[in-house]
Amino acid sequence: MAATLCRILLPKQGWLPFTQCVRHGSKSVTRHKRPLHFLKQKLMSVTRYIPPPRPAPIGAYPRQTIRDQEDDPFTMLVKKNLKSVFQESKMIAVVQNSGSTADEMMLLKYKLHKHGITVKFFPNQVMRSFLKDSTYSNMAPLFIGHTVLFISKEPKVKEMLSSLRTSRHMLLLGACIENTLLSAQGVVSYSKLPSVAVVQGELVSGLTLLTSQTAAMLQRHPAQLSALLQQHVKQQSSEGAPKAQEAT
Amino acid sequence: MFSIIKAAVGGLTALCRVNGHQQGLLHGHLKVLAAGLKTHDIPPDHSDVVLPDRRKLKFVNKMPNFKKAKKEMKNLKDIQGPATAANAFTKGEFAIVAMGGGYLHWGHIEMIRLTINRKMDPKTTFARWRVNGPYKPVTRKGLGMRMGGGKGAIDQYVTPVRYGRFIVEVGGKVELGEIQRIMTEVAQKLPFKAEVFSRASLAAFQKKHADMEQNNQNPWTFKEITLGNMLGIRKVLSPKDLCHNGRFAGKFHLPWRV
Repeated sequence: MAATLCRILLPKQGWLPFTQCVRHGSKSVTRHKRPLHFLKQKLMSVTRYIPPPRPAPIGAYPRQTIRDQEDDPFTMLVKKNLKSVFQESKMIAVVQNSGSTADEMMLLKYKLHKHGITVKFFPNQVMRSFLKDSTYSNMAPLFIGHTVLFISKEPKVKEMLSSLRTSRHMLLLGACIENTLLSAQGVVSYSKLPSVAVVQGELVSGLTLLTSQTAAMLQRHPAQLSALLQQHVKQQSSEGAPKAQEAT
Repeated sequence: MFSIIKAAVGGLTALCRVNGHQQGLLHGHLKVLAAGLKTHDIPPDHSDVVLPDRRKLKFVNKMPNFKKAKKEMKNLKDIQGPATAANAFTKGEFAIVAMGGGYLHWGHIEMIRLTINRKMDPKTTFARWRVNGPYKPVTRKGLGMRMGGGKGAIDQYVTPVRYGRFIVEVGGKVELGEIQRIMTEVAQKLPFKAEVFSRASLAAFQKKHADMEQNNQNPWTFKEITLGNMLGIRKVLSPKDLCHNGRFAGKFHLPWRV
């Protein structure tokens, strides 16, 4: 069957169709450039060389990254000041100032000065760059917006909070009291803490409670002591009897 | 006598006055002539270069020594594609490299030989042939003959040259600047495009092409499409296109193709 089919397709013996059905008028190597078949033209254009995109010339666009620039002398001065502030003061509170007037500010400063708290203003950028290099780097998120610094050598938190309560525009953000960062609530709870002496006294009294009680009892009249002891024995026996009853 | 002397002296003084006027124009009292220190480049050291005995290009015969010359078929594929032989430097430093395919006949070879032998200095330079003498017979029928009547008689012999083949190599105790002028003069007269290269410049040229291949942004390559016979494109391509990947068209090299 295949042979008969082949016979139909190939009428003449030894006849094969041409493998290339492309017409050409000249040989493949010519003195002129042979005109390309349209499909070959398309292929050449599809597979042409595409160079990599050229970078923009230097200076065409402004720089995106903010390079680390050297500090100008004013910044260096401010940083020196800051360093001394952080070293000397025990309490550094960050307060947000939302539009207080000059007289309000003056009154606040006067009130705080009576308790030894100074009000300081520093630029935020300088503050942040200073904190980045120091140990207080976690304070950096506090310094956003209009901030004022309350500095004092002694941690006078109660007085500060009372003056801030009266002022309308000042809002406490956080504080660094004795090298511990506190939030606003933390500052409030710190203020409610009793003083160190009181706490020490309480601790001592708690430890010596039992001994002091026994000493007091022994100092009383001996009749009272015997009555107490009898009562104690009765209680012991009464406790023992119900326990035995419960057991049975 | 006295009058002559006076005239001579007068002439001399006139000259001096003229010179003085010139000096006034130069304004030497205003210009500050500073003496600088010129730094010179260190000239290259050719002490390790050994020049051969025969430095000039040898004479090349017009035809090979055949007892009986045989006619050959046209065989144009000896022009097609890149060269695989004589495509690198051997002893010399500079060379004329073919940038296309073609046939060199005895006239071209004589021109090269005579120009280079005349213009080069045999004390410092030497030149070598990198191409054979004509060996391929080319036939031609007489003028005005009609088609038919058998193949024509051998007219001349030629040397086939492919793209990238070295024609002449030059070396010695010279730099490119001295030799380039002579070699470009020769290269421009050849029947195909030719260029003068030094070792470094040829390496740079080849590297440039390699870089082009590397950083081509086009995701479609000629090789990929032809190897896979995408869209049946091999119907309109020749088998040589598989080897050359679209960089050659007949005897021409397409430098913008990658």
